[in-house]
Amino acid sequence: MSEKQDRILRKLREIVGDQFASDEEHVLYPYSFDLTWATPRMPDYVVMPKTVEDVQRIVRLANLERIPIVPYCSGTNIGGLTIPEQGGIIVDLKRMNRIIEINTDVGYAVFEPGVSHAKLSAALKEKGYDFGWPVGTPSASPLALAVNHGIGHFSSRFGINSEFITGMEVVLPTGEIAKVGSCAFSDSWHSLFPLPMLSGLFVGWLGTTGIVTKLGVWVVEAPPYRDVVTVKADTIEDMTRYMIRFRKTYAADELTAVSWWLAQVPIPYPYQEKSKDAPEWFSFAVLRAWSEKELEAKRDLWKTAVKEEQKKGSSLLEFEYPPEAKRARTELPSRIIGSTKNYCGAGVAGIAWPGTFTPAVNWPKLYSEWKKIYIAHNLSPAVRVTDFKGSHYGMLRAMTPFDKKTPEAIENARNAMTKAVEVGIRYGLIPYKPPVDYQSLLNSKADPGYIQLITKVKDMLDPNHIMNPGKLGVR
Amino acid sequence: MALEELSKLRDKIYTCTHCGNCKVFYEWGAGKNLYAAGCPSGDSFFFDIYYGSRGRSSAAKGLLSGKLKWTEGLAHPIFACQVCAGCQSMCEVDFKKYTIRTMETLRYEANKAGVGPLPNQKRFGEYVQREHNPYGDRHAERFAWLPKDLREKSSKKAEYLYFAGCTASYRQKNIAQATVQLFKNLGLDFTVAEDEWCCGSPLLRTGQWDLAKTVAEHNASLLSKTKADKIVTTCAGCYRSLKMDYQKEVPEGYKEVLKVDFNVPVIHTAQLVEDLIKKGSLKLGDYKKRITYHDPCHLGRHAEVYDSPRNVLKSIPSVELIEMPRNRQYAWCCGAGGGVKSGIPEFAMETAVKRVEEAEATGAEVLASTCPFCWRNLDDAIKAKGSKLKMLDIAEIMAEIAKKK
Repeated sequence: MSEKQDRILRKLREIVGDQFASDEEHVLYPYSFDLTWATPRMPDYVVMPKTVEDVQRIVRLANLERIPIVPYCSGTNIGGLTIPEQGGIIVDLKRMNRIIEINTDVGYAVFEPGVSHAKLSAALKEKGYDFGWPVGTPSASPLALAVNHGIGHFSSRFGINSEFITGMEVVLPTGEIAKVGSCAFSDSWHSLFPLPMLSGLFVGWLGTTGIVTKLGVWVVEAPPYRDVVTVKADTIEDMTRYMIRFRKTYAADELTAVSWWLAQVPIPYPYQEKSKDAPEWFSFAVLRAWSEKELEAKRDLWKTAVKEEQKKGSSLLEFEYPPEAKRARTELPSRIIGSTKNYCGAGVAGIAWPGTFTPAVNWPKLYSEWKKIYIAHNLSPAVRVTDFKGSHYGMLRAMTPFDKKTPEAIENARNAMTKAVEVGIRYGLIPYKPPVDYQSLLNSKADPGYIQLITKVKDMLDPNHIMNPGKLGVR
Repeated sequence: MALEELSKLRDKIYTCTHCGNCKVFYEWGAGKNLYAAGCPSGDSFFFDIYYGSRGRSSAAKGLLSGKLKWTEGLAHPIFACQVCAGCQSMCEVDFKKYTIRTMETLRYEANKAGVGPLPNQKRFGEYVQREHNPYGDRHAERFAWLPKDLREKSSKKAEYLYFAGCTASYRQKNIAQATVQLFKNLGLDFTVAEDEWCCGSPLLRTGQWDLAKTVAEHNASLLSKTKADKIVTTCAGCYRSLKMDYQKEVPEGYKEVLKVDFNVPVIHTAQLVEDLIKKGSLKLGDYKKRITYHDPCHLGRHAEVYDSPRNVLKSIPSVELIEMPRNRQYAWCCGAGGGVKSGIPEFAMETAVKRVEEAEATGAEVLASTCPFCWRNLDDAIKAKGSKLKMLDIAEIMAEIAKKK
């Protein structure tokens, strides 16, 4: 062990206690990779702070030693976000796991990064409240989800989870604490408005501009009446037209369609041809309401949309959704929706995606391109499209299982998905939670002024370039 | 060949997606979601390598890919696990069935590499060789607890062979004595095998497979001596070993490793009593207590016996059975299993204290279980905490109140 390595470990242990900091290879190793094909990289240390003061001291140490730090909640993202591109210190935040407040009078919750979906959902459910639960593991962090523009089960109606953020406490890359939103002025975490949107300095930056130690989000009461309405279509064109038509009503909390390959459990790997008589697209729309009457009205809006499309010659047809799937869709977060078993099977354990944010009007063209790319790489085009906020923006992504046992299969998956993103950018696709491969592509297409601005902001906040370096593709 | 046994599981290990489902207990429903800590080692040591099957499959992948080498440091998270299968109950992918076997195979490989087992675990391996029990007490005194009138019946032909196990024979004699008293009350045709050896559970769980083979061969021979039709045991660990490890292939058991000819029905005392209650053969006295039931991992998650003990308790007049929030497949481990009580006793105690606190919060007076090893560790925690809970095995309760009709 070098003198510097020894010194850093000693100082980390002084901050958090001996048992919460390590540089042992076997402790570091599980932090070096994730579910995806992102290239594994070993960190040099892992440290587990308990308090915001611990985090400040770690950040100051990192500045002093000029060593990278990578914030880490549960390592369940599908984008290699916590893989330390340049080594350094993994700041594992799982011990910071308090729900600080659930304010049902105003409708917000404040919690720490180590709080899991399972914990927050259980606490909210006790009070009849809800948050936008994603397709993810119960141990995933809702804080990480929200600050990385994650999606939830009512994103089609209200927008993605970052739109629910009401306030933040952040340890800046230089060690100071900053509060953002109403919490900067009082104990109330109700809103970011009407202040300058300083949350924008930390949301969507992939952990490169600070460590969010507390997050406030709006939570909403969960309506008791729920239903899932479903249609299938032969083509993405028919499905997209239907979704654009129905989205105008804002009736569905979630409006999603999946290709035949994604509807299979698990997704076929390698590529398997769809049977000729099966429709290619299946859609579900989750309706929630405060009364049976309201639910019925929403069903009527949906039926009208379907009938109108059918009259225009669309191949849309209603179909029965399996009861267990219906239950899972209406009682999120479940253990069924989002389980990796839906994606991986038959000995295949890698999972990644290209996508995500793409205007709905471009879904048909891009899907057609992706199908060619995927089939050429012997991968199933298991594509999902979802409207966000009534389809002011939307998602198109391909859940892609691959075999992690062989370097060739990993490389094949990486090539297919990177190519899909490259093509997608031409159709307005912006990759979310992007691995560095996607980020480099995105930056290469960016307006120079955009790169200049984020570089300036990054330099201003993180003058020593210690925060998760390499992730943004600048600095 | 290095990592020979682990390599056999390679394809299964690589079905772990690293999703992290195994880190916490979670169940969902319309009214209420269950959220709770589910992995004792993760909850005590926190680093990801200590969390559930994701942590241990990471270690396995690291070893198989050559990125990790065996060190004493790596041996710690491998042995700091009760093999409670909490992670297995949460796993949703193909790795699910292989989580326990992977853990125990990692231990086998650690032992081969010279970094395991932990010192006290190694000692109990030596004790089993010498005295046929992991406590190192004299084999000749194994059945010292057996009432005189039953000694004459030992090793004679009977319908049931009562396999007492080491913990009930040497430490929790109260459970062994209660079991035979209960059997007498029920008029059961049973015998014991005075030359009973350790079932091998602590050896299998800590990767000391070669030693387990010897004891399995010996125990299999007991059957031919007693000619019993069935084996009954009050020990969850023995139940798992005799029923699964001796008789089932990987991943449920070790038949292919132990290679013993052993095809006999094995039942737990709780199942036997449940069956008699269902048949209407028992008369049960009052037992005016509030009881909470602790699922032993080896009986519950490992063997999926959840209902029998509960059905027995529910059948007792006046008993109020109160469930702990973490029950059945989501039960928190007692902390003792997987060699942890001997290997890392402070971790075993920490885990048990958490369980006792959960039991206390129910307002129960009695913490009941169906495993002498759980009994022992939970009772240690009750004493350490100064808790008012009374630790009892279901056999102890039934011995007091059950009579044949």
